[in-house]
Amino acid sequence: MWNEKPKLILDHRIEIFSWILVGIFIFLLLNLWSISVLQFNLYHEKSELNRIRVIPLQAPRGMITDRYGHILAQDIPSFAVILLPGSEDPEKSRKKLEVILNRKIEKPLRERYSGEIILASPISIEEVTRVEEAKKELPGVMIEAFPRRIYPPGEIVSHVIGYVGKINAEELKRYSQNQYNNEDMVGKSGIELYYEDIIRGEKGYRKIEVDAPGRIVQMLDTSPPRFRHSLTLTLDLELQQYCSELLAGKSGTIIIGNPKNGEILAMVNQPAFEPNLLVEGISREEWGKLLDNPLRPLTTRSLQALYPPGSIFKLIISLAALNQNLVEKGRTFFCPGYFDYNGQHYPCWKKSGHGRLDFEEAIAQSCNVTFYTIGLELGQDRIIDMAKRFGFGETFDIDLPGENHGFLPTSSWKRQKIGEPWYPGDTINLSIGQGYLLVTPLEIYQMIATISTNGITYRPHLLKQVNDEKGKIITQNLPKIENEVKLKPDVWQTVIRGMRKVVTEGTGKACRDLPVAVAGKTGTAQNPHGKDHSWFAGFFPYDDPQYAFMVLVENGGDGSGEAAHRGRDLVQWIFDNRENTRNEDS
Amino acid sequence: MKIVKLFPLIVLSLCIIGLLAVYSTDPLRGSGIDLKSFFWRQLFWCLSSWMVFYLVSRIDYHWFIKLEWILFLLIIVSLSAVLFFGSGDETGARRWLFSRSVQPSEFSKVGFAIFLAALLSASPEEHGSWWLLFKISVLSVLPMVLIFVEPDLGTALVIIVLWFSGLFFCGFGWKKILTVLALFGGLMPISWLVLKDYQKQRLLSFFSPQSDPLGRGYNVLQSQIAIGAGGFLGKGWLSGTQSQLRFLPAHYTDFIFASWCEQLGFIGGILILILFFWLIWTIFRVSIEASDLEGKIMATLFGSMFTFQVMVNIGMNMGVMPITGIPLPFISYGGSSLFINMVTMGIIWNIAKSGGKE
Repeated sequence: MWNEKPKLILDHRIEIFSWILVGIFIFLLLNLWSISVLQFNLYHEKSELNRIRVIPLQAPRGMITDRYGHILAQDIPSFAVILLPGSEDPEKSRKKLEVILNRKIEKPLRERYSGEIILASPISIEEVTRVEEAKKELPGVMIEAFPRRIYPPGEIVSHVIGYVGKINAEELKRYSQNQYNNEDMVGKSGIELYYEDIIRGEKGYRKIEVDAPGRIVQMLDTSPPRFRHSLTLTLDLELQQYCSELLAGKSGTIIIGNPKNGEILAMVNQPAFEPNLLVEGISREEWGKLLDNPLRPLTTRSLQALYPPGSIFKLIISLAALNQNLVEKGRTFFCPGYFDYNGQHYPCWKKSGHGRLDFEEAIAQSCNVTFYTIGLELGQDRIIDMAKRFGFGETFDIDLPGENHGFLPTSSWKRQKIGEPWYPGDTINLSIGQGYLLVTPLEIYQMIATISTNGITYRPHLLKQVNDEKGKIITQNLPKIENEVKLKPDVWQTVIRGMRKVVTEGTGKACRDLPVAVAGKTGTAQNPHGKDHSWFAGFFPYDDPQYAFMVLVENGGDGSGEAAHRGRDLVQWIFDNRENTRNEDS
Repeated sequence: MKIVKLFPLIVLSLCIIGLLAVYSTDPLRGSGIDLKSFFWRQLFWCLSSWMVFYLVSRIDYHWFIKLEWILFLLIIVSLSAVLFFGSGDETGARRWLFSRSVQPSEFSKVGFAIFLAALLSASPEEHGSWWLLFKISVLSVLPMVLIFVEPDLGTALVIIVLWFSGLFFCGFGWKKILTVLALFGGLMPISWLVLKDYQKQRLLSFFSPQSDPLGRGYNVLQSQIAIGAGGFLGKGWLSGTQSQLRFLPAHYTDFIFASWCEQLGFIGGILILILFFWLIWTIFRVSIEASDLEGKIMATLFGSMFTFQVMVNIGMNMGVMPITGIPLPFISYGGSSLFINMVTMGIIWNIAKSGGKE
């Protein structure tokens, strides 16, 4: 047949093709096996990632209280109106919300995790009910409670407690191992920053199932955020409040604490800032104003600012001289009102002179001429050496961020930086706490505390204890001896008697008539930019010290004035309001 | 003969799987009988297509062969009409006539297969000759170009496959076939200039679906995820998150295989593969057992057409073939495609029955 041949060819080609067909289907089958069986785990994970969104819920931070339980910082529930992804046009929803709330919402719309938009935050509880009632008009709108940090005492604790703010890129990197994300609040300064790791809560999350356009299909799982630790500080809020009032309208700082264990009871810095405003987040412009304010309200003066110590440093000179046996019993000094050395004229602060006085009287009167004399006898090295033993020039590791340390000038430093040798005149200046010497107020406080304990320096601290979520104490911050200055026992006694005389008959007479015996020392820090700074530091009761304190009033004139008067009020307040001094007295 | 007798049963099984798959991906499935719902529409098309299958299977296939030039004319006229009066779809391609109710390119696949079968069976003595090669090449290029510029890349490829199958099965020597292939390969770079941007992107996305998961490769990646996440036994009937939550695009048309596999796993996928293999194998059996050249060639061309469509669609679902927009026969949602496939099945069944009689 003429058409048999093509038929045979066709059948033959079909035979060939059958093998191709089998090949194609085996190829498809192997692929199917590879994807759905061999690579199941990979694709399963990818499909879960597709549909499940985990929305972190902000963790509440621990409460911070003072030693008596007064609240210094706490989280309160705050409310935000959230628009879920894909539900409606955010601008439209925002307009509707403005009508319901009957007010304009200033803050710009902001997107957070996975397309959720914050329409308004925070809103008041009264507004929450209004939004709930109008919920039918607001599709996709949800009210979410989140913790908001408040500082009930406000300004008066601002430098110590610090404040929290939205985490920034650099902090995100620093805390990367702790799963922070860019909606979190972190401590920016003070205790909030120093104890961030303890105080932060445990984050919660909300797992939701979403579809391809990002709309919520269902809520899968919620784990509420958890609060972990609260902090009890050594601070005494009422005392802090009082100290703050003492410095009202001034620039300066007061530190008061227990010299026998290092607890800080009050640490006030003026001027201060309002931490509650910073939590909300202030505009760049306002922040700039705070930074550029010449009174520097953001500076924690007690730890960070440097001042010449003035006559308060004479205590170090005294201790060094007594320890070197430079002042034997009965040695007297004569002050004509000035001191001439190598043709230079160094005045005493009392132009008419102190006349003849013994060493304790010299401390009491803060006689410059006496200290010029023994300062030269001691020499610069031994003065600096004694200052170092008291911790000057180094930080004390107080539990606050940003602690600074003072500056102790040395002859090698002077040669390098100024290009001049150390002159005896420099030693003379150093002897009365002037010249190149700079200290922080905390260093002065620590010096006083160390003298009051006859040489034992405790680490200054603000944390008293850490409590767990049920209020149980889990860590107690026990006193830690940081250093011990070993001097002959009568050295301490002589200096302390001198300090007592400062109050009874010397420059600190402002405190003479108090119902509790105070030992102290005044200081006047020369200020090339204006009026001198006024120092007064001391401890009481004189024979069994319970409190050590330090007052610095910038531009307060000499120490016997502004600072000593504030010291008097401070001691009086403690006597009136805190029991332990009265008990000691009676 | 036994295998061939089971032919309508295989087609029925595929149609039922198709209905189940469309039902599982129908967003309106819960709302009772609703003519807007994909499932009810598909059911309607399915029932009417089976009537067509019955009718066509009773028409002697030689009648279709006699239509040859009329069919060719119809193809050219309707495809040209699409270019001038057609309505577009969301991709900007013009594929529809009478406001998106008829897709001439679907019909032209089958029409062209019949025309080619008529042409090839009319002159068996010329099989393998240069003249016939030239003739069918010219006549293939015309509809192909018309479909290509719509553009409907998938159907254009089907025309090419039919043309190539015609050469392969009608005894053209390897040299001639390779010459044509080489010529074609040489023309490919020119066609790149003609391709629309979205078509280029589709082709490019085939080569690296991971590179840009939300862009070009998104579809392929989501499809692979759907199949992979189904695992061996699947996530269960009606419970695939990839398709139910619409991460998988076109989950009731082009990517219905992935959606099916997500629900019923490797086992479900195997079921479809086996049924298609069986169907295609049977079509070639029909060709071998057909009594004359017309029936043989027609069945063969239909067989290769289905092989190509199944391979490309399932391959595309698994990310081993480019996205061409070729639906999975009987299973993807779509009336035109189902209808025309059932016409084809009717003709094949008629060939099978006539072959059996002799």
